[in-house]
Amino acid sequence: MEKKDIRFESNSGRIRESSSRILEDLESYAIDEKTAFEIKLCVEEAVRNAIVHGNKSDPKRKVRLGYWVSEGVLNIEIEDEGAGFDHELVKDPTKEENILRNSGRGVYLIKKLMDKVEYSTKGNKINMAKKIK
Amino acid sequence: MAVRIDPKQGLTVCHIDGEIDINSSPIIKKSFDKLISQKTSKIVINLSRVTYVDSSGLATLVEILKNMRSYNGKMRLACMSPKIKSLFEITKLEKLFEILADEETAITNF
Repeated sequence: MEKKDIRFESNSGRIRESSSRILEDLESYAIDEKTAFEIKLCVEEAVRNAIVHGNKSDPKRKVRLGYWVSEGVLNIEIEDEGAGFDHELVKDPTKEENILRNSGRGVYLIKKLMDKVEYSTKGNKINMAKKIK
Repeated sequence: MAVRIDPKQGLTVCHIDGEIDINSSPIIKKSFDKLISQKTSKIVINLSRVTYVDSSGLATLVEILKNMRSYNGKMRLACMSPKIKSLFEITKLEKLFEILADEETAITNF
């Protein structure tokens, strides 16, 4: 799949739209249900983080979503216009002292469900990759 | 998304139908706020018709559990699909919640 690059405003309606668009474009790859579920979840978590935490839900700030398939691997880039964050400072939500806290679970799920996750130095862009074949 | 609340064998069984995500979480929380304000002592949440849960949905279930614990209420989750159960395993929430395979087992000896 050729790289697709779209930009959209910080609107929560774009969360589902983003995952649906990617999964529709992956139809010809006949990915299994579990992989599709994991892609949907990780895209929605990352787009939500970009809109809510990155762009602070400011409709004037945009989110950029890029995705492509290369050698059986789905690559996804999501970038916001916020100040960025240090993903290493996000507390491990599985530790006993954090298990009842309601933060960090989205970032943690992305790290566990994707095959590769990288953040830009500034921390306002995430690159995720998942093998689909 | 819909929440159905049924009294059954001396406890409360809640059926959630649809997705538990950032959009539906406020509605689900509101449905359970009423049960919590009444200090409902035992709740079984049947998730057999839940097709998707995101981190907001997991947070909502944790909030319900925390609120119930504040008055010694108890909650069990039943009928999770393997996809959703895997999220509880990855996030270690399986240690926090009582997760039962089916509704009857969840009701028995509760």
